[in-house]
Amino acid sequence: MIELHRVSKVFSVGPVKVPALSDVSFRIGKGEFAVLCGPSGAGKTTLLRLLYRDEVPSGGRIDVADYNVGALPRSRVPELRRAMGIVFQDVKLLPARTVYENIAFVLRVLGTPRAEITPRAFAALKAVGLSARAQAYPAQLSQGEAQRVALARAIVKEPALLLADEPTGNLDEGIASELFDLLKDIWSRGTTVLLATHQAALAERLNRRTLVFHGGRLVKDAR
Amino acid sequence: MLGFLCGEALRDLVRAGWIALSSVLLIALSLLTLGGFWVFSTNLGGAVARWREQLRIIVYLKTEPSPAAAGALGQRIRAAGDVAQVRYVSKAEALQTLRRQLGAQAAVADTLPQNPLPASFEVTLAETASTPEATRALVERLAALPEVEEVQGGTEWMERLTQLQRLLGLVGLGVGGVLGLAAILTVTTATTLVLHARREELDIMRLVGAPEAVIRLPLLLQGIGQGLLGALLALLGLVGAYRLVRPRLEPLVTLTLGLPHTAFLSPTAVATLLVSGALLGGVGGWLAKGRA
Repeated sequence: MIELHRVSKVFSVGPVKVPALSDVSFRIGKGEFAVLCGPSGAGKTTLLRLLYRDEVPSGGRIDVADYNVGALPRSRVPELRRAMGIVFQDVKLLPARTVYENIAFVLRVLGTPRAEITPRAFAALKAVGLSARAQAYPAQLSQGEAQRVALARAIVKEPALLLADEPTGNLDEGIASELFDLLKDIWSRGTTVLLATHQAALAERLNRRTLVFHGGRLVKDAR
Repeated sequence: MLGFLCGEALRDLVRAGWIALSSVLLIALSLLTLGGFWVFSTNLGGAVARWREQLRIIVYLKTEPSPAAAGALGQRIRAAGDVAQVRYVSKAEALQTLRRQLGAQAAVADTLPQNPLPASFEVTLAETASTPEATRALVERLAALPEVEEVQGGTEWMERLTQLQRLLGLVGLGVGGVLGLAAILTVTTATTLVLHARREELDIMRLVGAPEAVIRLPLLLQGIGQGLLGALLALLGLVGAYRLVRPRLEPLVTLTLGLPHTAFLSPTAVATLLVSGALLGGVGGWLAKGRA
């Protein structure tokens, strides 16, 4: 599903070159659940951004679901992104739309037939336990609920791959643990999950393959 | 999907609020100006065409030819090109016409020792000579015939009118163009504001893999919507102004231009104005779209 071969990423800040990732190689199989772990600035977010082609690698090769991501022309980036769901720490919900509309919006922009939109949006909300909050606006949700809506929005298009970038960064431990359980549920239905977190203790409790990053390097791959 | 795109475009239009309204009004104003000049130019063009139909060139001859020679000369004039009809007017017929024109004073003509009027040909122009250039060229060709003393049928006034008609068209295009440019910039500004308001939505759309067309089309559609709305307003304004002014102006137009009726824009011109509005708005939306 995901394969990185000697990937590096260097950001240029004026004349200064800042290496964010150096010589990273690993492979994640279809249906696997892997955790990217490491402190802030370790390169986890940069790695995820490379995977959904928000950035292009400075060196090496990245393959995601049969796409050579680095060489993918801009016009085909939407195609790659349709194959994945993405969850962020800052949820990125649309404040002027209800929970239901936030989820249905994804299906609408992807051209899903009208008759399928409502049942699929409610199925996604049910999967994260928020069917009752469909008509609420993001401002009326707790942080944990907002993150679950973001998760529902990511899975509503039934992606083969789910990328989660610090989804529990703003949550207390109990709610974070619930969200991890939801991720495991989604994974158990066949979705490949790649979770980036700096919360090592929580990651350990997940008991899944963990790739530990430090200073832009992959320092440990514990299965 | 089209319903979704149009819905998003409408939502954007409402979101742009006053600035969208000012773009619509500017488009309406530019097309109203253009349309106003167009109506005026159309009527002037109608008058010029009518006068041109009635235009005759008189070819005066040095001496009166024999009937056979007159027939042969008539053939040569016809062969000069751009000629629809040729009619020979003998010296006697010219004098008779003069008597008719003098009316009560017709006896004056009888006091003349001899007929001073020259024989002539009345030449009616063909459709192909409807341009001032073609008319001038025909006059030159006829004047070059050895039997011809003088050719009258000055087209200068007609040329001046045609030039005035062209000038009016250009002024209309110029003023309409400047206003149109301002309208495009306003639509661009309105759309750019919408873009900023929609930044989060656009980010989400890109992250979930929405096709670029779905992201950008609503911006283009809302520009086209503003343009069409502006064009409709301009047309309403033109129709209203025409209906208001027509009863007062028509007698004057009949008197000065010789037109029995004034004319409004043709269906093609109306369609052109509508398409121009859509284009103005579309270009504005397209320019802003580049910043998406």
